[in-house]
Amino acid sequence: MALLKLEDVVVNYGSINALRSINLEVNEGEIVTLIGSNGAGKSTTMRTIMGLKRCDQGRVTFDGEDITNKDTQVMVKKSIILSPEGRQVFPRLSVLDNLRMGAYSRPDSEIEGSLETVFELFPKLLDRKAQVAGTLSGGEQQMLAVGRAMMGKPRLLLLDEPSLGLAPLIIKEIFDMVDKIRDMGTTILLVEQNARVALRHSDRAYVLETGKIVLQDTAEALLNSSVVREAYLGGL
Amino acid sequence: MFLQQLINGITIGSVYALVSIGFTMVFGVLELTNFANGSLYMLGAYLSLMLYNATGVNFFLAFFVSILLTGGAGFLLDRLALRRLRRKNAPKLTALITTLGMSMIFDNFIMLVFGSETKSFPNQFNFGSFEIGGAVVSWVQIIILLTALILMLLLSFVVYKTKVGKAMLCTAQNAEAARLMGINVNSVIAFTFIISGVLACISGNLVGMYYQTVSVTMGATVGMKTFASAILGGVGVLPGAMVGGLLVGIIETFAAGYISSGYRDAIAFLVLIVVLLFKPSGLFGSKQINKV
Repeated sequence: MALLKLEDVVVNYGSINALRSINLEVNEGEIVTLIGSNGAGKSTTMRTIMGLKRCDQGRVTFDGEDITNKDTQVMVKKSIILSPEGRQVFPRLSVLDNLRMGAYSRPDSEIEGSLETVFELFPKLLDRKAQVAGTLSGGEQQMLAVGRAMMGKPRLLLLDEPSLGLAPLIIKEIFDMVDKIRDMGTTILLVEQNARVALRHSDRAYVLETGKIVLQDTAEALLNSSVVREAYLGGL
Repeated sequence: MFLQQLINGITIGSVYALVSIGFTMVFGVLELTNFANGSLYMLGAYLSLMLYNATGVNFFLAFFVSILLTGGAGFLLDRLALRRLRRKNAPKLTALITTLGMSMIFDNFIMLVFGSETKSFPNQFNFGSFEIGGAVVSWVQIIILLTALILMLLLSFVVYKTKVGKAMLCTAQNAEAARLMGINVNSVIAFTFIISGVLACISGNLVGMYYQTVSVTMGATVGMKTFASAILGGVGVLPGAMVGGLLVGIIETFAAGYISSGYRDAIAFLVLIVVLLFKPSGLFGSKQINKV
């Protein structure tokens, strides 16, 4: 049974149809990627899953339970955690406080253990733990955003554009972490414009175009598909 | 003379500080200028008076009930009006105008019940006064100062050390990210409005006792002063509101004492303008970090 399932999900922004009947599944232990150009509806999909955006039609289920249009805090309690586009760290809190906030919905007794795990994943954050998050570099902020999401102990981790605006070397570092996080048993749904890197690290992928899923396959098949190559991989 | 003015200035300044803490906290979490904050201050004083006159039992019981009611009024202001606007994604300006409208509702409600004339207010702390270095200090002043100090320490503790305070700080910095942490942002906002109502009520009553009068316009005057205090200190910053309030109180008292009481309000605002010319984000305000 799929861990996360979207069935015929429709989302409108006023008269604009952002998602036109999306069907999507993420199975336990998988890394699934949504690729697509700007405005295809990738972030809207993530926001709808998190309950940040109302779903106008259709159903979202998690672990067999209907979670359509539930409050974001309910999703967090169910261990669905989003690392949002553009990092969105708390700029005036320290790195450590940012991480602690990631565990806001969990018992205090579990925080220390999770902190150790996150610092193992991102040793750079340990060096900077007292620093105010707003003064970190883009790559460090991204690590912090992912680390903060990991503090929520996700069963399903949603990563929205983790490579946005980062240097290739940092992108590689982030995606190595994504692999590690999956190996720890976390299921991941990833949204990326950087399709090549994302597909290399994924099991399956969906291609989104103007609010519709136009292709879905294993990541390997999509990497080799001529359509995807031309549209999203720069024809290489 | 100098010492006397200073003591009077600190007394009224500490009241401004309390009211502007509530104002600045609401601004912090919502980026909303709450024009109804001054009305809550007036409402708090009148509710105590009303309950005391109606029952005649115990002023402090009336005071306590009034604190609950004014906190409730702050809550309702958000729950009935502002929260609906947020859900509809209404522009910030709509919310601002709404607080203006709410402030008129509060003011006119009180005017309808009590009339527009100034009312005498019982001073329950009328324990006389004593002299230090030629300055006369009344016990009401000491009690106002102590209350303000205790409340400021308590609020600092709540905001910086407790979980709900951390949730407030996060909501203020990035409301959507706060939701993603599992924070119930609507509850945080409601809590903030309740605190601002409670602070306004306590301040209104303290000033009522200090001057032994209350009037419907007291809210509008103090509203402007707390607005100035919060901006002077750096809006949205807790220590900023405290220091800003004290400064505005001291400056206007000195202006009234040494220049002319007619210029009292003008000089407080003049100082505000001068400070903002050199430090637009206020004394304690930090420049916005805009990193993409």
